[in-house]
Amino acid sequence: MSTLVQAGALPSRTAAATDSARARWGRRFQHGGWFVAPFFVLYGLFVIVPVVRGLYLSFTDANISGEHTAFVGLDNYREALKDDLVRDSLWHSVQFTLYVVPVIVVTALLMALIAHHTVHFRWLWRLCFFAPFLLPSAVVGNLWWWLFQPTNGMVNHVLGWDTPWLTQKSTAMLAIVVATLWWTVGFSFLLYLAALQNIPRHLYEAAELDGAGSLQRLLHITVPNLRNITGLVLALQVLASLQVFDQAVVMYQFGPGPEESTRTFVQYTLEQGFTSYRVGYASAISLILFLIIAAVALGRMWLLRDREEAATR
Amino acid sequence: MGRPGLNRRQLLTAAGGLTLAGSFGFAALGKGADALAAGDRTRVRYWNLFQGGDGANQVAMVDAFREEHPDIAVKDATLAWGNPYYTKIAMAAAGNRAPDLAVMHQGRIPGFAPGRLLDPWDIDLLAEYGVREADFNPVLWRRGIVDGRLYALPLDIHVQLSFYRKDVCEKASLLDADGRLPSAGSPDDWFAILDAARGQLKKGQQTLGLHANDQNFSWWFFVAFYQQLAGTYFTDDRTAVTFDTDKATQVLEFLRKHVTEGYVTVGEADAEAFLAGSPFTWEGNWSVPYFNGEKVEYGAQPLPPVFGTPATHAESHSFILPHRSARGGAADEGAYRLAAYMVTHATTWANGGHVPAYLPTFEDPAYLKLAPQDEYSRPAMEHPATEPHIWFAGSTGVLAQRVGPVVAASNLGSARPDQAARRIKSALRQLLATRNPMDGRTAAQEAKGADA
Amino acid sequence: MTTPVVRKPRSTWTPAQIALTLVAAALSLVWLAPLAWALSTSLKTPTESVLSPHWIPDDLTAESWRAVLDAGNIPNWFVNSLVVSVCVTFLVLLVASLAGYGFARTEFRGKPVLLALTMAGLMFSPAVLGVPLFTTVQSLGMVDTYWGMILPQCAPAAMVYILYKFFQSLPKELEEAAFIDGAGRWRIFFTIVLPLSKPSLSAVGIFTFIASWNNFLWPYMVTNNPDLMTLPNGIATVQNSFGIVWPQLMAGGLIAGLPLIVVFVFFQSQIVRGVAHTGLAGQ
Repeated sequence: MSTLVQAGALPSRTAAATDSARARWGRRFQHGGWFVAPFFVLYGLFVIVPVVRGLYLSFTDANISGEHTAFVGLDNYREALKDDLVRDSLWHSVQFTLYVVPVIVVTALLMALIAHHTVHFRWLWRLCFFAPFLLPSAVVGNLWWWLFQPTNGMVNHVLGWDTPWLTQKSTAMLAIVVATLWWTVGFSFLLYLAALQNIPRHLYEAAELDGAGSLQRLLHITVPNLRNITGLVLALQVLASLQVFDQAVVMYQFGPGPEESTRTFVQYTLEQGFTSYRVGYASAISLILFLIIAAVALGRMWLLRDREEAATR
Repeated sequence: MGRPGLNRRQLLTAAGGLTLAGSFGFAALGKGADALAAGDRTRVRYWNLFQGGDGANQVAMVDAFREEHPDIAVKDATLAWGNPYYTKIAMAAAGNRAPDLAVMHQGRIPGFAPGRLLDPWDIDLLAEYGVREADFNPVLWRRGIVDGRLYALPLDIHVQLSFYRKDVCEKASLLDADGRLPSAGSPDDWFAILDAARGQLKKGQQTLGLHANDQNFSWWFFVAFYQQLAGTYFTDDRTAVTFDTDKATQVLEFLRKHVTEGYVTVGEADAEAFLAGSPFTWEGNWSVPYFNGEKVEYGAQPLPPVFGTPATHAESHSFILPHRSARGGAADEGAYRLAAYMVTHATTWANGGHVPAYLPTFEDPAYLKLAPQDEYSRPAMEHPATEPHIWFAGSTGVLAQRVGPVVAASNLGSARPDQAARRIKSALRQLLATRNPMDGRTAAQEAKGADA
Repeated sequence: MTTPVVRKPRSTWTPAQIALTLVAAALSLVWLAPLAWALSTSLKTPTESVLSPHWIPDDLTAESWRAVLDAGNIPNWFVNSLVVSVCVTFLVLLVASLAGYGFARTEFRGKPVLLALTMAGLMFSPAVLGVPLFTTVQSLGMVDTYWGMILPQCAPAAMVYILYKFFQSLPKELEEAAFIDGAGRWRIFFTIVLPLSKPSLSAVGIFTFIASWNNFLWPYMVTNNPDLMTLPNGIATVQNSFGIVWPQLMAGGLIAGLPLIVVFVFFQSQIVRGVAHTGLAGQ
């Protein structure tokens, strides 16, 4: 009952009948556990159990067949610290994130501003910018594998170059970044567009009356009002980019790229687990990625808490 | 409109409800549309990794089998070559949902936990369908045996070849009286041949297709030349690394020289460049049907024996029975019949460039007349250079994945050959100390037959 | 350049608008080019596709589309994708709305712990959890089954959280009134709350469907049998026996990608709202 009062900041109501109904309503709440039960059955089986299992496996030498499992203590972790490929693949994922996130954020914002401020054909811009997001990653991977072909691909055809994008180390990661930008920018674009539409119109009208030019309105109204959404877009993009896998492996046919320059961390985990059959070791190194992701997520929560406190004075 | 009460919304709702019910019904049946369509004929699921010319030939062979055995519904699936394929096979076998029959590179057998992920062939049953040990090269047959039982039924041997264009070589007067390229007995001989051919080229054409940046080809070529130098990898009891970094450096320097001297354009589409007039390319014998399809006069030999002893990299496509808890029954029998049929009716396969493992085909006069097969089939069978027979070896296995990129890096110049050789040696040491995840034993323990 | 839309309807083609429209058109062209190239490739013959690159096929042919559809794999995977996505969407809607409502409106022992546990789930994904998730599903005997693909996608903490926030924001009066009239919790949920939640539910549903239709990683891990693969997984791992035939690869890709794009054209505003709503809820 107490939570009911906290949660609903209801306008004060008077009728005594309602009060007694509320009291009964509160008593019946005791069985609410049934509402969450189906979710927790699935959640338990497919999130909690695997987490616990992963932790356990990381201390064993388990293989894919599930037989001959022995406890090996911290061996997997010790090995991971010395494993060059852990270091390299982690760097590739971070490198990818560092490249792709700023590009996506800037492009998405630009697209949203354009789509928001044009009067004509807005639906068309929205369609064009967002459509690639609806393609499966495997299709995107195959498509860009083709587009980046050195002699008969579209990219070199349009640019008039003959860069072997996918077979030289210096452009291999860039190719994945380009494909990813094309594919996923639509999602961030939509978030920005929604945020732009939520900025109260009267702010602009007031500024215009005060004689503010369009650039000033952009800098002093639009940009500050987009701060929250930018935080969200950044967080979502960083989390997704650190887990990059699909498009990278499809573009390089599940290989490690030229001179092993595009093997991402998730790819390495799965190679260990499913190609080298070392489930125990794969579980151990997965934990590294989890810790990074948890740090990013918690860091963002912590930042938001600060801001919320500031907002409530 | 039309009938009252049936508006668009209701129609959509009804369609949605049907889709939903249908989806759950389908999920409950759990078989997939194709399996449902097969009806009650014996259904043999067969996986392979054959693409390109191999794929087409393989489809032709399966189709021929289908014609002769209308009672068996073969469901063949071609998965992406290399790692994705082996991952899928291992996981299917681990999850007890494996296909009835599959293809595997023979070199991968030791790492595939024979007995756990693979089931052995029943020799007597094979004999019933006409496949006998006597009809195979004994060395090849024996490589498929682990702990006394046959796990890999060989379909072929396939090798890396040096393809040469007869028109260009003719102009450079490199061919002998029979119109063939004499084999080069030393690196100097070989580079002299390349120089002569280079004189005939247009600007921008490469002299040799080496796949210098490809980790698989790089490793295969390394294996071939390292074997020509009689290099070894491990002691027989698998307790120590015997890898000779001097010999390895020699091989790596030889490969690297092709790039530094400009015989090779890194990143070129080698096969297409060959068809467009480049005189040499090193490719697998599976390129034979591709090159046959174009109007190009060419020959194909094993990689040149530049270090004295002839040897060229060889692997073997073999049939395996992925592990299933309940083997036997009609599908299992169907798998035996299909495998036996393919092995004994491998003429199409041999035309496709592979050296048939089944001796009656190998010795068939029609096959012996076939060009360019006649130039390489016998040396391939007699001087194969294979990866060590150990759990982490075999086509695109752990060893190839670790070491291939090192060879490629040396080819491209991002690692010095002697450095690369040392890196290979340290990778070998590391792998030798690693326990096979399948049985928890190191290679040495496996060699001794010891328990974990 | 960034004039907000406060112009009078008559003078919409201002110089600024013309400039903006041109920029938008140019950018759209860049974004459409890859798809146009894919379409153009799919209509070429295999030989023409690898000859010198050009946009307009000399020899327009639907042969590759026909070959892809006849080969049987893609229609088969299409059905699988549909089965999996529909089941996932339905189950997610059911499970997540129940749980969201349970957290927002009911009281039970251990609720704070469970809520915290759910929030923690926002940090896990198949990318992080893949290997142990696979062994779990393996020990349940669900490798290479539809359920093995479906069920692990049906515990989305994020969707529970979004619906939880939404139910919290609903005014309670209607539910209370129904309660006074003698309706039970479940009836209130199904007859009053759910109909009120259509916008949020469709947002979650749309987002879930897109995510599931395009999900590659999990189906890739859990299915090996090509009979059971979904489109993205099949396209990436099963190859044409005849090698890389670019026109067929592109035709197959378009077949896999077009349904959602066509749906998008027709339901653009709903989908945009759905995706934005679901995304923004993370704020």
